Amino acid sequence: MARKKQLLETAETYVSVSMKVNGVPCSAKIEPRTLLVHFLRDVLGLTGTHWGCDTGNCGACTVIMNGKSVKSCNIFAVQADGAEIITIEGLAKDGQLHPIQEAFWENHGLQCGFCTPGFIMQAYWLLQQNPNPTEEEVRRGISGNICRCTGYQNIVKAILTAAEKMKR
Amino acid sequence: MNRLHDIEVYSPKTLEEALEILRREGDRVKVIAGGTDLIIQMKDGIMPRKNLLNIYSIDELRYIRMGNDSIRIGALTSFTDIASSALIRNYARILADAANTIGSIQIMNKASIGGNLVNASPAADSIPPLYVLDAVLVLRSVEGVREVPIQSFYRGYKKLDIRSDELLTEVRVRRMAEDEDGIFLKHGLRLGDAISVVNAALLVKWDGDDRFKDVKIALGAVAPTVVRARSCEEALTGKELNDSTIWDAASKVVNDISPIDDVRGTAEYRREMSVNLLYIGLWEIINKRNQAGW
Repeated sequence: MARKKQLLETAETYVSVSMKVNGVPCSAKIEPRTLLVHFLRDVLGLTGTHWGCDTGNCGACTVIMNGKSVKSCNIFAVQADGAEIITIEGLAKDGQLHPIQEAFWENHGLQCGFCTPGFIMQAYWLLQQNPNPTEEEVRRGISGNICRCTGYQNIVKAILTAAEKMKR
Repeated sequence: MNRLHDIEVYSPKTLEEALEILRREGDRVKVIAGGTDLIIQMKDGIMPRKNLLNIYSIDELRYIRMGNDSIRIGALTSFTDIASSALIRNYARILADAANTIGSIQIMNKASIGGNLVNASPAADSIPPLYVLDAVLVLRSVEGVREVPIQSFYRGYKKLDIRSDELLTEVRVRRMAEDEDGIFLKHGLRLGDAISVVNAALLVKWDGDDRFKDVKIALGAVAPTVVRARSCEEALTGKELNDSTIWDAASKVVNDISPIDDVRGTAEYRREMSVNLLYIGLWEIINKRNQAGW
């Protein structure tokens, strides 16, 4: 909350942004420097999107912006003005996990879990583009996400399982 | 790491507005397109703190169209769109292949060709293909339009032929002809999401005798700007193509490059990899043609 206060109140110049996040319209006056990841986490309180390397490498902050997966640590919130955003919080519906979330759970596609929201959002985009990927296509698709625990085996397995589930 | 607490951001919705802001603000603003390089550089303090001109919402700069004798690409077009464009895959395949290696999917979804060109990294993957495809860059300002061939756009390390009131709005590449083949090669430290240690684009025009009538080779990450490998090109043009002529020609590339040591590799390693990449690339082009039944 201290951070939210800082973002909202100490700005010399505020700008208004509005976007639709997980279907909900939201707008705020923020400092122009606010990155999308901080807007989501600190202004909207959606802390499922993780803030990892802050350099566009690790992919933990991956969200869907206007239908495309992007890393929210190298986007200013003002660049997302008017956009539609989907975060990890937007996947489960009515208490029912999304098939990708189920598949990660069932295949234990995680250990510490820090990278998981980013992987799931990237998998979400990947399976929308290519509902029937090969293992190699999955590996290429998640090359922008880094996991330092699992060695990726179960993550790849989870995404391939999710593809099967989503066809049903 | 620097926080970006005191910058101001202008977000025009039309090209006209953007050019007006550039005329007024000039050097005081830095143009931000996809921002995948710029935001990181600002956080690291590599980029001087400046107010930003955010052109990301100017959708009129996102297009890929067939022109009279060239393909016209709007400066904000993302690498995902370039890599998957049927026009570019059919007529400028080298550029589509390069776009596919730029970075991870998330980076390709946001990064733009104009941003890659103006960021002017010597390792930028989109630049070597544009060198061999004789790209022309369209620069607009309130004053008018300038068309600059890509090789004269780069004057030195991150030194560009662009005025502070000008915006890069379009990239034009020539269509590859039926008697031309090309390839893009990249050597990075990993397959996905890596910056090039060496990259290269090759474009050859065949004559009737299975020799090269014309050869264009450009390499990145081995000099302050992308460079043409002129001595290598010369050693191939009109020559009989066998293992020894190809190896000799590839070896000549060391005369055309001036690599440095950095975190991704030593100068010596880059020299060796440049020779190897060209040797591999030339054989791939020749083998592909032989398989195609020539």
